[in-house]
Amino acid sequence: MRGPKMTTLRLEGIAKDFSDGAQMRRVLFPVTTEFEPGELTVLAGPSGSGKTTLLSIIGLVLRPSEGRMFFGDKEITSLSENEAARMRLQRYGFVFQQPMLIEGLSVLENTLLAFAVQGRRPPKGARQKAVKILNRLGLGESLHMQPRLLSGGMKQRASIARALIKDPAILLCDEPTSALDAESGQTVMRLLKRIAIEEGRVVVVVSHDARVFPYADRLVKIENGQIVSDTREQTQTEEVSQS
Amino acid sequence: MRTLTAFRMVVHDRSSTAGALLGVVAIVFLVGQQLSLLFGLLNYMSVLVDHSNADVWVMSGNIRNADAGNLISGRYIDRIVGLPEVKWAEPVLIGSGLFRTADGSYESVRVIGTRRPRLSLGPWQFFKADERALLDLESVTVDKLDLAKLGNPVLNQVTEIGHRRVRVRAITEGARGFQGTIVFASIDKVKEIARTPPGRYSAILVRLNRAPDSRIMARLRAALPKCSVYTTKELSYLTKKYYIANTGIGSSFGFSTVIAVLIGVVIISLTMYTSVLGRARDFAVMRAIGGRRRDIAVVVACEALIIAGVGVFVGFLMLVTLLNFTRGSAIPSFLPLFVSPALAIGAILVSFIGSSIALRVALKADPASVFH
Repeated sequence: MRGPKMTTLRLEGIAKDFSDGAQMRRVLFPVTTEFEPGELTVLAGPSGSGKTTLLSIIGLVLRPSEGRMFFGDKEITSLSENEAARMRLQRYGFVFQQPMLIEGLSVLENTLLAFAVQGRRPPKGARQKAVKILNRLGLGESLHMQPRLLSGGMKQRASIARALIKDPAILLCDEPTSALDAESGQTVMRLLKRIAIEEGRVVVVVSHDARVFPYADRLVKIENGQIVSDTREQTQTEEVSQS
Repeated sequence: MRTLTAFRMVVHDRSSTAGALLGVVAIVFLVGQQLSLLFGLLNYMSVLVDHSNADVWVMSGNIRNADAGNLISGRYIDRIVGLPEVKWAEPVLIGSGLFRTADGSYESVRVIGTRRPRLSLGPWQFFKADERALLDLESVTVDKLDLAKLGNPVLNQVTEIGHRRVRVRAITEGARGFQGTIVFASIDKVKEIARTPPGRYSAILVRLNRAPDSRIMARLRAALPKCSVYTTKELSYLTKKYYIANTGIGSSFGFSTVIAVLIGVVIISLTMYTSVLGRARDFAVMRAIGGRRRDIAVVVACEALIIAGVGVFVGFLMLVTLLNFTRGSAIPSFLPLFVSPALAIGAILVSFIGSSIALRVALKADPASVFH
């Protein structure tokens, strides 16, 4: 099983307009930035500030109105729908605000679905890898359980396992702690931090939860569709390495 | 994995699955039952022709079905047997009369007169006794299904048809016509009952030395210019077509079949639509993590196929149970072999049609929606 390539995600003047029927409204003003591997970036800002729009564009589920985006040297701004799907399948991992596990599939099957959503058989050893990841996330006893039987924290960890099974170069997390209690939220953030640092992935977390900020290597604040601050943080690296 | 996902969704969404299953079962069972009734009646329409054991039927000119011909002259028999391709030719006489039951009431019957010793157009299946019973002049047969209607006559019971003495000497099985109760008798007895002029018959049945072809049929038609000359197959088809077109059976069955299919489609559409609406978030997640529209379509199609497969199985199980239950009863039911696969394929197609609205909803699942 290959590990993630150390690849930078680069945005050049990415902007987004939405139409409300009568007129176009700019919700994201041109953003030029880079997301480095091994770094946990937190996109923070109030509701409606444009952070989720930016995450959606980075995640190739929303097309920008202008600007260009590069994965390493490859431009990924204008991929076709199927090319974007393949890119997401091969290079991206997603953790959503709600765990969004598929009811009916067990935890293990939900994890493996990330491999096989396009119908191909999971690669050899995928099952063992999924079991290993789920064990690592403390879900070893829940492999064959239905999602509805898990606690919120367990579900979120299962969704992280689904995101990690493919060794994605980019891990995008949308408010991953908002549906969790404080303790579960901290566990998830420690886990994401470790994934970024130890496994050299680009990890981007959208959150307006201040409890998340201490885990950020880089804190990007967005307001009214514009980046208002972009700072490198002193983070809880030591705590993370110990955990 | 897409198939497994579809299977798990079908199993998990029990109420929706049960609803869609009901739709498929309704289609298979209701349409199957309608078709079995239609084919049962079709068999009744041409029952005598189909069991005549003849290659060619000669009847009066311009007939439109096997039951509505005028009498023809017996002299045609000589012309027919004069052709080298003809193995034998036998006259039959079909009349009607009132059967006197044990309590003194009367039932209308069709009496099929057949000539000894060949007994062509005679009964083909017996419940009690056999065809030798008809060698006696006053013998008649009655059918097992008509026993109650005819006052439960027993073997050797003497009664009357058309005020002529007859003796019940055999009980047939499956000799049931579209136009009512069939009784077999000797041709001479039918002449008495129907009071037909001498030397005139309802039809002449012809057996050829080989299978009928256009050349032989042309020769027969040339030899009998005032007669209708049909192969058994042609006459059977003509008779069925006549009754379907002229009795309203065709449109009636067609209408009820269409209604059954529509009900099934509506049930399938609504339940699958509801199911997919409930799964919209899951499909969006699948799209977000790398699924294409095609993959979502495969999952929905697999769901439809699984439901259709199970529904077809359950529907046929119920249909077979019903057919077994009604076998041997007065209800005409017959399902030809080709109907079952056609019905199964039809039900699966209809399931796909029913799931098409659900598919459209599933394909609209927006991967960006998972970030909201």
